[in-house]
Amino acid sequence: MAEGIGIILLKFGFILLFALGLGGLLTWVERKQSAIMQDRIGANRASIFGLRLIGLFHPLADAIKMFTKESFTPASAEKFLFTLAPAISVFFALIGFAVIPFGDKLIFGDTVVNLQVAPLNVGLLYLFAVAGLAVYGVVLGAWASRNNYAMLGGMRAAAQMISYEVALGVTIFGSIMIYQTVDLQQIVHLQGGTFWGWLPAWGIFMQPLGFILFLTVGIAETKRVPFDAPEGESEIIGYFIEYSGMGFGMYFLTDFVETVMISAITVTLFFGGWQVPYLLADGFHFPWGEVWLLNNWTVALFQIASFSLKVMFFLWLQMAIRWTLPRFRYDQILRLGWKYILPISLLNIVLTGIVIMVLK
Amino acid sequence: MNFYDIVFYLFAALTIASAGVLVFSRNVVYSAVGLLFALSGVAGLYVLLAADFVAIVQILIYVGGILVLLLFGVMLSQKGMRVDIGTGAKQLGPAMIVVAGVLVVLFRMIMKTPWALQSVSEFEPTTNKIGVLMMTDYLIPFEIASVLLLGALVGAAFIARKD
Amino acid sequence: MPNALKLLQNKFSDCIRETNCHLGDTSAVVNKKAVHDILEFLRDDADLNFDLLVDLTCVDYGEGEPRFEIVYLLHSFKTKARIFIKAQVSEPDPQVQTVSDLWHIADWYEREVWDLFGVSFKGHPDLRRLLMYEEFQGHPLRKDYSIDKRQPLVTAEGTNNSQITPTLEQSQQAMEEYVSEENGLSVRHMFLNMGPSHPAMHGVVKIVLELDGEKVVGSDVGIGYLHRAFEKHAENISYTGVFPYTDRLNYVSPIINNVGYALAVEKLLGIEVTERCKYIRVIMSEISRIADHLTCIGAMAMELGAMTPFLYFMQAREAMYQLIEEVTGARITVSYVRVGGVKADLPAGFESRVHDQLKKVRAELKQVHRLLSRNRIFVDRVQGIGAISTADAISYSFTGPMLRACGVDYDVRKTFPYSNYDRIDFDVPVGENGDILDRYLVRMEEIEQSCRIIEQAFEKIPVGNVMVDFTGKEIPAEKMADLGKFGQTEGLLLQVAVTDPTLLGAGESEHAEVRHADKRVSLPAKEKTYASIEGLINHFMLIMDGHGICPPKGEAYFPVEGANGELGFYIVSDGSDKAYRVRCRPPCFAFVAGFSKMIEGCQLADIIPAFGSINMIAGELDR
Repeated sequence: MAEGIGIILLKFGFILLFALGLGGLLTWVERKQSAIMQDRIGANRASIFGLRLIGLFHPLADAIKMFTKESFTPASAEKFLFTLAPAISVFFALIGFAVIPFGDKLIFGDTVVNLQVAPLNVGLLYLFAVAGLAVYGVVLGAWASRNNYAMLGGMRAAAQMISYEVALGVTIFGSIMIYQTVDLQQIVHLQGGTFWGWLPAWGIFMQPLGFILFLTVGIAETKRVPFDAPEGESEIIGYFIEYSGMGFGMYFLTDFVETVMISAITVTLFFGGWQVPYLLADGFHFPWGEVWLLNNWTVALFQIASFSLKVMFFLWLQMAIRWTLPRFRYDQILRLGWKYILPISLLNIVLTGIVIMVLK
Repeated sequence: MNFYDIVFYLFAALTIASAGVLVFSRNVVYSAVGLLFALSGVAGLYVLLAADFVAIVQILIYVGGILVLLLFGVMLSQKGMRVDIGTGAKQLGPAMIVVAGVLVVLFRMIMKTPWALQSVSEFEPTTNKIGVLMMTDYLIPFEIASVLLLGALVGAAFIARKD
Repeated sequence: MPNALKLLQNKFSDCIRETNCHLGDTSAVVNKKAVHDILEFLRDDADLNFDLLVDLTCVDYGEGEPRFEIVYLLHSFKTKARIFIKAQVSEPDPQVQTVSDLWHIADWYEREVWDLFGVSFKGHPDLRRLLMYEEFQGHPLRKDYSIDKRQPLVTAEGTNNSQITPTLEQSQQAMEEYVSEENGLSVRHMFLNMGPSHPAMHGVVKIVLELDGEKVVGSDVGIGYLHRAFEKHAENISYTGVFPYTDRLNYVSPIINNVGYALAVEKLLGIEVTERCKYIRVIMSEISRIADHLTCIGAMAMELGAMTPFLYFMQAREAMYQLIEEVTGARITVSYVRVGGVKADLPAGFESRVHDQLKKVRAELKQVHRLLSRNRIFVDRVQGIGAISTADAISYSFTGPMLRACGVDYDVRKTFPYSNYDRIDFDVPVGENGDILDRYLVRMEEIEQSCRIIEQAFEKIPVGNVMVDFTGKEIPAEKMADLGKFGQTEGLLLQVAVTDPTLLGAGESEHAEVRHADKRVSLPAKEKTYASIEGLINHFMLIMDGHGICPPKGEAYFPVEGANGELGFYIVSDGSDKAYRVRCRPPCFAFVAGFSKMIEGCQLADIIPAFGSINMIAGELDR
């Protein structure tokens, strides 16, 4: 039986909560992880009735602050676009989650629920298309601010994102060639088996080079250190220089949601998505022959947990990178993209093609 | 009127309205934003026609690529920031004649075409088929287009070089 | 260097009015018309080769005739000699030939003199005010400008003299009309105000940039946003009273400023401080230098987006500040050094704590070396960026790590050793390319060298009675002071005090260790002040207004190696208890003057590490 509109809305709610929740939580992770890396304590002052919970209320305090601060529009700004731009930014960051599969199938009675909001068979292409649109929020916001600094930030962002979008596509052609599909749910399914009976058949083992390239490009797409030239808070302050209150908050959130997005895509393409090693639809089948049978609900829970944990691992990794490296210069970013990542990605395609030919 | 029709009219309205903004706006950037929504609306119509690949490519290439470059160009132009880049009407008379001519031709064409009206068939993925066709039956046009684009790319890079 | 004087006299016999060799400073008073030729000769003569214009300043002799004296201080890397050239200029319309065509730095020095004294320079390309704002009336360092004089309020309407400050519309129109030619095409460039309110400008410098895309075509650096009138204050307060003002020059390493000023006054007085005091000054200076370099490198890394090295270095700096606080009682506004000594001795157990903290500094150094020195992104960002040629660096009068990064082995501690630096073995690291990477590496190495200096100083410092080996009853200093106040002085002088160095006073024996015995400058030990009439009188003579420290008539320049380079104090004394003129030669003034040159052709993003690498400290830049 097909899914009713109610179930689609439920799934939609879940993934939205997942993205926004993780995005919000990331502000806390960012503070705490950087604090640990830098031998500090980190933010821990926000409290509810004296309860501090190692600073977990800070995202909440941030949200309240953003909502209650005055959203100031400069006199010379383009009012309409200035207001619209941050919303565009968040919108395009969020709609990508529609095609990310976060589990296999959930069965109640005779209803089979596919744990993916929009089972699009061009899912991967859709992700690219959406990633390409993310630049609009930045460029329009920068232009509408009518500020030289914002303008420089907008131009940097546009140049960087156009360059890396090309590379983003090329880096995962290798995966598409192997899986012969652009449907994300199917790609995850294809990563379900094992090699030699024990090694999970995850994408990273077939596309190690593709994985490294994709992660690099992905971080560049999120515009965070070391690729944060459009923001460059000590250089040009960024495309959002004129934004305050929730306008700024939305740009801020976009960055974090994009970070979650990149983690989710990486997991889906290279780390088996929701796959748990040795877990099949009816339970665990370990390589040494042991079998634990589980019901459908437990399996689905395992899958969702597995997906979330993997995503969080990559969030951690991105944070660790962000707090270790200094920032590239704008032209160095472009040079890296065009002169190194793109040719190596092309090489990756050729290598993958040769290997596929040989194996056939 | 079923759900499908409602969605169709929504997309059609979006496309026409933003096309209107595109044409009548006095500011190039607003026109670009209009074009953004117009192209997205067309992509929506493609989806309704069960052409998923074309729809995505429409967004990927036109909205995500060409339009961004267009905006980039507008901003890079010398007065991008300080002054409104106005678009104005010039040569009103001749333009009217041309537009009227085009309109007549289009209208007649729409009227005379024997439209093969057909209910929506079972939705089928097209990506794979398009890919296969590109690499088999239409290989030569595909390659010619590629070489042409490569030539354009090299030429552009050559012109842009300063020394 | 009578050699230089002799040569001068031979060549310009009719232009030299007077030559002098006072307190080891060679000077020549010359005819103002010949200044340019004489300086050019001194610079270009193969034997003399005075290639560094260390300082250019002015002294206003008020009623005297001629009223102004322009002072040029030259240094020769070849002969390690210095010479003062003075030109007298009289009212009305004081004017002298510019030397900005000989040295780049003279451009800014002359603008400063014009701004503060109203002496103009013939042929100067761009004689604008430098430290004061355009609407300022008068010239504040002239003697007839009283220190409490006020300026009219500048309002948008009131002084809208379009000659000085263009309106927004005017400047926008000027930008619109400004078209430059490039390969036959007319190009409109973007103008960008970087600062004074910009995160990387440390709040107090403004750079007007002309940008072609992101490439810097031209720039104009504007300073003076933190002008605190140090020199004017120093003329209006007793010699001891200047110390708190020197704290605020380079506020990251205030003790070095303290030491520099104290040494200049001591030179005037002809006083040499005790051995122990010299080493204390060395130790405290080097601790400050470490703190300064840590801040500079850390801030530069942070502005490049590398937050973590910054915080590692802040921790190391915190360790240094704790040491400073322990000795001086304050972290930044230390006022620790006195004329003739230091405020108090080092506290007990200080040496072992210093060694512990140095271990910490070295550990952080190692970490940051690993995080940055071979980090490809970092190296790409700083290698070959913001480079300046050795010739330009000298012409801009660079000193310190900036000059050493260009490959010139010049360190005041080696060239003109003071405070026993000659008895300590340390290396002076030099770079090759004069780019940001070399500056970074030079500073990193200097931190290590400073650690070595501190360790050696602790080995060599003569053991003073920090904890007194006493036989009598132990009483704290403040209690002893109280007893003295109430006249219960019987047997008090025989007591030995256990002191708290940051409190009321030192025990007498310790006092002698860190203070010169000269009654003209040193306050007597508290025991003497409270227990003997001579001590009391001595104390009052030094404290009372109109008495205090009165160096003999004369003038002296004393350079020390500040964290940024040569920090010099030029003091003119008229024999009273207040200096007639105090000139501070701040090291980073030269760097900021040369900054436009440094960033020419760079990317916008390169300005930030370049600016970080010059370690501009507004306190000493604007004074």
